[in-house]
Amino acid sequence: MVNRSEFMIEAKDLVYNYPGEEETSFPALSGINLAVRRGEYLALLGPNGSGKTTLMKLFNALLVPSEGEVRVGGISTADEDKTAEVRRYCGMIFQNPDNQLVATTVEEDIAFGLENLALPPAEIQKKVIAVARMLGLEQLLQQPPHMLSGGEKQRVAIAGVLAMQPRCILMDEPTAMLDPAGRHDVIETVRQLNRDQDIAVVHVTHFPEEAVFADRVIILNQGRLVMQGRPQNVLSDIPLLYSLGLQGPAAAELAALLRKDGFNLPPQLIHSRELVHSLCSLEPKS
Amino acid sequence: MFIGTEKLTHIYMPGTPFANQALKEVTFELSRGEFALVIGPSGSGKSTLIQHLNGLLRPSSGKVFFEGRAIGSDKAELLALRKRVGLVFQMPEEQFFSETVYDEIAFAPRNLGFEENIVQTMVEEALDEVGLDTTVLPKRHPFQLSSGQKRLVALASVLSSKPEVFILDEPTAGLDPSGRSNLYGLLKRLNRENGLTVLICTHHLDEAAALTDTVLVLQGGRLVLKGPAEKIFSHREQLYQLGLGLPAVTEIMYGLSEQGMKVRTNIYSLEGARQEINKLKGRCEK
Amino acid sequence: MSRSITLGQYFPGQSLVHHLNPRMKLLSLLLVLALLFSLQSYAGLVVLFFIALILITTTRVPFRYFLRGLRPILYIALFALIIYFFFTSGGVVLLRVGFITVESEGVREGTFIILRLVTLVFYSLLLTLTTTPLSLTYGLSYFLKPLRYIGMPTEEVAMIMAIALRFIPTLMEESQRLMRAQVSRGADFESGSIFRRAKSLVPLIVPLFVGAFRRADELALAMEARGYRIGARRTRMYEDSIAPRDWLILAVLLVLLITSVYLGF
Repeated sequence: MVNRSEFMIEAKDLVYNYPGEEETSFPALSGINLAVRRGEYLALLGPNGSGKTTLMKLFNALLVPSEGEVRVGGISTADEDKTAEVRRYCGMIFQNPDNQLVATTVEEDIAFGLENLALPPAEIQKKVIAVARMLGLEQLLQQPPHMLSGGEKQRVAIAGVLAMQPRCILMDEPTAMLDPAGRHDVIETVRQLNRDQDIAVVHVTHFPEEAVFADRVIILNQGRLVMQGRPQNVLSDIPLLYSLGLQGPAAAELAALLRKDGFNLPPQLIHSRELVHSLCSLEPKS
Repeated sequence: MFIGTEKLTHIYMPGTPFANQALKEVTFELSRGEFALVIGPSGSGKSTLIQHLNGLLRPSSGKVFFEGRAIGSDKAELLALRKRVGLVFQMPEEQFFSETVYDEIAFAPRNLGFEENIVQTMVEEALDEVGLDTTVLPKRHPFQLSSGQKRLVALASVLSSKPEVFILDEPTAGLDPSGRSNLYGLLKRLNRENGLTVLICTHHLDEAAALTDTVLVLQGGRLVLKGPAEKIFSHREQLYQLGLGLPAVTEIMYGLSEQGMKVRTNIYSLEGARQEINKLKGRCEK
Repeated sequence: MSRSITLGQYFPGQSLVHHLNPRMKLLSLLLVLALLFSLQSYAGLVVLFFIALILITTTRVPFRYFLRGLRPILYIALFALIIYFFFTSGGVVLLRVGFITVESEGVREGTFIILRLVTLVFYSLLLTLTTTPLSLTYGLSYFLKPLRYIGMPTEEVAMIMAIALRFIPTLMEESQRLMRAQVSRGADFESGSIFRRAKSLVPLIVPLFVGAFRRADELALAMEARGYRIGARRTRMYEDSIAPRDWLILAVLLVLLITSVYLGF
């Protein structure tokens, strides 16, 4: 089936209620209209309990909308016969690296999804090796998962998804449990895939610094989409971020404070080097 | 010496092919009331180190001190030590086993043999200390709380035994920005107002750095740097080589300094950066 | 800490032994064991022993792993040694201390038994050290396949066993962490009556189960997200295809076994 639309994922008037929780004050998600474009890098921010994870599960057909519709690669996720296609089209990386690695060695874990597609063994082996080479995991192929660092585990999980040649990768706080080096590796890996292979990325994160490189930032609160736009617009809106219990990048937060003190800084500062540059051009060097 | 180690060495599974020297001759000490930070890449021995400080692990060689005395192996003494040196593990809410918040927090005082009426006061005081409600919340099931509340209850369940040293392993793991800033606010209060000695292992310096008096840097089981926060954070290159990095604000100050602006780089909070940059006003005209 | 827990005994490598088909390795081991017990002559045993040593060298698994594997049989070996050395008579008297004599026949038989035991352990370790627990599981499950005709979901059982293998180290680590966390809060798992001790395990068992269920939940989601469906056809990355060399080895072993039994070696 050929997807003729330019959208990887489309959510229309999406509502989701967890079974048995229809009576609570607000549904897990409501009124979500969102489209992820081909090759787009989308960062998804929001406080705990705002519905981020639920949205990701809906995008992966792990949940089916209570109302409205989600289409992945043109296929409705409610179509149970096509679930496998949806998931192949759009892979998912979870927060806890320990609970998503299935096999006892790295190579067999990368192969897991391909095995589920019932591909011939020779093809699986070829793909596993190609993916491992791409992500620099060749040396780890024989290792059991519990011998890997957190960053390595997440990269193995990415490799497992990548082996399926998806057009989109969903990541639910993939760096929450990693050290700075591991975080850096994972983010760089994904950004590179996004750039070089035009794979769309939907990245849920609590770290505004990880969202500054996105093409678009979406903010969820209490199950609703409260803001979206380019990172420069969204992440520099410090009052809004604070009001939702979120943070901005340090540069944006500092710029907001300095503006109050009368510094004539341009709006939409989110990168540290932009702030440094702007401050330097304000002040004659002593 | 209030608390510290002398040439502490720890080997996991000694005498087997898997013997692994997790700590190598680590020597440090902290004074009462200090706020200390242990940083290092994953697997550098941070968890092993802190588990020695309340006698959970025994040194393979070297000593661990508390109030000038070496920690021995006497059972009653160890229990007394664990009362005074509280240790909060990573994701501490995963230890919950009670049916009410009250019982969860009462676990430690009850183990210490306090009378039930005293236990009740201790539970209430602990809840109060972490800023949680003492009327309705104690009767609730710990699993029903929000993630931020769970973390606070987990902290209270260690604070209830009135420790003098409070050690936390990656205390903000899994929390959203408001949860993180709330938790660091609490730690600051415990340290500055209640006089607790606080020691934290963390990868996220943004919130912690500004509170810290002393920093210990571990790498491969060795204490490669130790000293006052300002001194350690001035070893920027070395920290980067270890994959550790600096708080984002500090990075901005370094950026300004590299551009020839006369600013201090030992700045770890937004407010500090704001004041420092404000000093530039009217000073740089030439 | 996690690095200290090994899963099974697998030691990665690229040798011929590593690459043999696990099913065939299992069968071969059975044949070698049969051969070991049918052998009556020293010569045959020594040959088998040296073949084991040669195979061990080719695998490049450090020899200390094999020596460590001997530890469990140390006492059995010692016991056998004493029995045979001191209580078997025949041949020349080698040593006489008081009423205890050691005669050459006893030494010969004792050594034979121990050599047989050591060889047996070496061959078993050759299997377990060069085969991932997962391949072993799938190998074993192959022999269980006939059970499918009586309604056993053998594929799913194999998957369950494989996942269990994967999570044993994780759960061991978790229980250790929980134990330490509760001990930090003053828990005591060691003293008191049996009843008291059983009760003191509650703070350990409850979170361990809660954690295991949460893990299982997340894992199930992750597996589903990667396209796993119960009952759906799937392939394996290493379809344990049987190469001609596997048949060759099996045939050689079979011939050896029959010859040795027939000729009474």
